[in-house]
Amino acid sequence: MPLISTRALTKRYPGGVTALDGLSVELEPGVIGLVGANGAGKSTLIKILLGLLPASEGEAQVLDLDTATQGASIRELVGYMPEHDCLPPDVSATEFVAHMARVSGLPSGAARERTADVLRHVGLYEERYRPIGGYSTGMKQRVKLAQALVHDPRVLFLDEPTNGLDPAGRDEMLALIERIGREFGIAVIVASHLLGEIERVATWLVAIDAGRLLRTAPLASFTERTGQLLVETDEPADALAARLAVRGIDARADGRIAVVDLASGDGTEFGIYDAVRDEAVTLGLALVRLEHRRHQLEDLFRARGTDERVA
Amino acid sequence: MSALPETAGTIYDIGYRNYDGPRLGRRGAITAIVTAGLRAVFGLGRSGRAKILPWGAIVLAVMPAVVAVAIRVLVGDLIDLYSYENYLWSIGALLPIFVASQAPELVVNDMRHRVLPLYFSRPIGRVDYIVAKLAALTLALLGLTLLPVLVLFTGRVLAAEDLLAALGDEIGALPGIVGSGVLHAIVLACLGLAICSLAGRRAYAAGAVLAVFLIGGVISGTFEAQARGLESIAPFLNPLSILDGTREWLFGGSVAESPVSGAGLPLAMYGVATALLFGLSLGILALRYRRVTT
Repeated sequence: MPLISTRALTKRYPGGVTALDGLSVELEPGVIGLVGANGAGKSTLIKILLGLLPASEGEAQVLDLDTATQGASIRELVGYMPEHDCLPPDVSATEFVAHMARVSGLPSGAARERTADVLRHVGLYEERYRPIGGYSTGMKQRVKLAQALVHDPRVLFLDEPTNGLDPAGRDEMLALIERIGREFGIAVIVASHLLGEIERVATWLVAIDAGRLLRTAPLASFTERTGQLLVETDEPADALAARLAVRGIDARADGRIAVVDLASGDGTEFGIYDAVRDEAVTLGLALVRLEHRRHQLEDLFRARGTDERVA
Repeated sequence: MSALPETAGTIYDIGYRNYDGPRLGRRGAITAIVTAGLRAVFGLGRSGRAKILPWGAIVLAVMPAVVAVAIRVLVGDLIDLYSYENYLWSIGALLPIFVASQAPELVVNDMRHRVLPLYFSRPIGRVDYIVAKLAALTLALLGLTLLPVLVLFTGRVLAAEDLLAALGDEIGALPGIVGSGVLHAIVLACLGLAICSLAGRRAYAAGAVLAVFLIGGVISGTFEAQARGLESIAPFLNPLSILDGTREWLFGGSVAESPVSGAGLPLAMYGVATALLFGLSLGILALRYRRVTT
């Protein structure tokens, strides 16, 4: 049973804005990064999956439950942390999270017990008895996470969970998300426009752009080696590239960096390393760096719509 | 003497625990919102200051009943300050004050601080949420519209020399007591929450509720006193006199002080006006909450 599956999911808002355009994905449990620029359709997708927003076309299932007809059953099994502020200032975190646990259907005793547990897990201690209005942004984000987690959901939807956090706060939030996915055994869907963050926690990535699926794959395949060697020198690399080309090696200069195709030449990487070394000596160049080039998540979006699209 | 084990007092991180106990679903969610709503209205779990107004209003509402019963015990049924019919009209000023001060607690912060998406991402819908909030305020209002009259009823029966005979005399009034108490509570709760749902802050909500009740009441009073010929409009300007007319229509017993008695209109008109008021309030609530984006 896939965790989430959508088929040709389309959402058009009145006024002609198309937020999702024929999106089809199948996702298995894990920490799933949902990446895309602001307005790419991430929040719309989450709301459809929660059964809060009807799709214009297509269908979607969460835990084998249909979002159009079984929204209430889905919402018993999932937790949702919205992007925006959503906390009343005049109650304490303990009181608020326990209330939300009861609204999720937990009996009072269990709600109190799990509230204490969950607030400890997200790292709120003495301050949990004080009104939320006096909390820092970091503490508020923890309360938002706690209310999504308190009823022990099977799936957690987090919409931009690091919004407004300072670098230390981001690190802690990301560590917490990773722990929820790995130790707590809860599937997590993290929507973010910050690729660098998603890269740190996700095991699987779904990239969407303008409502369309760009790619869905394990994180590792997004950042695997590209078969290119980057050679950085202390001078412009044009001469080096030209001399390598004479030897039958595909190389192009990009400023002080020569991008060398490792599959060209005699087809062995060692032959290419030797050639680079020899030509550098001949030209009297100092080598600054030799590195296998990896795909960057950013390539995905930089290359979109062109022939350079990452395969 | 047995020594404590070395580990006593150590706090263990026992890791994450899954929950496999009962889940009460939608009904549990609604019960939770009603309970939390009642606690909010009566200031339970909050500062002492939050309790002054709601409990003060209840005490003030019950006080006349207690006094009336005391007089009955002391001097017999020579004078009756309060009847079952005029009781709610007599404590009328307390109702708008209670609604204005406590109804905003229920809905304004959820809207203003965008807590609603957290509710709607749980197993309840918008209608469930509104129904639960209305139930909470209605139950709370029964403390003003039903409890005092029941105190009066019980006191009258217990103060009589022949309990059974007194019970026989008084029991006929019970349907009217309960009926008008529930009618007042439900309609006032709907109207109060509808007004509050349109306000951005609790203070504005309170002001708006008072404006609707008191300004209507003042104008209605002015019309009665000065503008001859406008007596028939006067009762419709004040929700409380509309409710009093409906009470009289359904259960009988006119109240001399109420503008209803001066207007001399067919009582069914008040029933229609109440139905319109009720429908309008529900309509406002439905529209207002449909517009909330999740």
